[in-house]
Amino acid sequence: MKKLTLLLTALILVGVTPAYAGHHEGETHETKTEAAVQSGDVHVSVNGLVCDFCARALEKTFGKQESVEGIDVNLESKVVTINFNDGQTLDDETITKLITDAGYNVEGIHRVK
Amino acid sequence: MKYLILTLMGLVMFTPPVSARPVSYPEGWTVMLNNDGDKNTAHVHYSPTAKTSIGYKVENWRDKEMVLNVVQMNNLLKRWNKKDSQANAYLKSGVGVAYSDAGDFDGKIEPAVFTGLALDWEDRRFFTSYENRYTEAGEIDDFYTQSARVGVAPYIGEYGDLHTWLMLQVEHTPEAKDNFTVTPLVRLFKDVHLLEAGMNTRGEVLFNYVFRY
Repeated sequence: MKKLTLLLTALILVGVTPAYAGHHEGETHETKTEAAVQSGDVHVSVNGLVCDFCARALEKTFGKQESVEGIDVNLESKVVTINFNDGQTLDDETITKLITDAGYNVEGIHRVK
Repeated sequence: MKYLILTLMGLVMFTPPVSARPVSYPEGWTVMLNNDGDKNTAHVHYSPTAKTSIGYKVENWRDKEMVLNVVQMNNLLKRWNKKDSQANAYLKSGVGVAYSDAGDFDGKIEPAVFTGLALDWEDRRFFTSYENRYTEAGEIDDFYTQSARVGVAPYIGEYGDLHTWLMLQVEHTPEAKDNFTVTPLVRLFKDVHLLEAGMNTRGEVLFNYVFRY
């Protein structure tokens, strides 16, 4: 029991301490993304986004699209922001299909004018 | 201990079950290394779609003195995506061969198959799961196992942060002498790396590592 307590204590300390440092990085990243929102960007509300694996799945999916410059996944708001290359976009039907094929459900799509 | 087990069984029965994610995102590769009081396993799989993965798995059951080499296919039977949670039902099956070093079966090789159901539910704070499996290895052995987990995240990180989960795992192997095993563990998850470490009530170490790309 003593060994177990020591092991768990060590792991919790290792896990929790850097996590808060990492959280600040996340906040900075979000702020940058919000500032970078521009005309033509698409905000997609997605159901089922509960962890980093989900976010990574969508990054991989949209990363293969030539028209997409990058995406930002906000796990708190469950909103995926898609940034497109100049003059390019994807229609709602394609966005919905890509997200559905990745294993998630689209709740709504909002285009920044 | 009896009350702890009963409480855990109750939690498993009355809350929706957890996430082992046996299927990755489309075109994703996963490497899983699992070590616990019973066995050491290595599993590599590829997911052509978000609903299927196929891979190769080696399991070394130490006390049984048996090694399984199987091709394993996992199928997502159903996913429930909600705004703040996700639940999944998977069918996990394998076919291959079993090799034994034990007693009368020393050097024996038999065809082997297994199949089981895995259920999970999670949101960003809580996690529960249940899975079972029946394994048939010809004359060498056949056995049933089931396990369940509950977990809680002490803080909620953003995408890219280090995520920490505190979990409790209960395993039940009806044929075993000590047929219930309880394992408190910590899960650390960052980027493409997931690591779990704990120690069960028999003092045996659990150490799992998953890499997904």
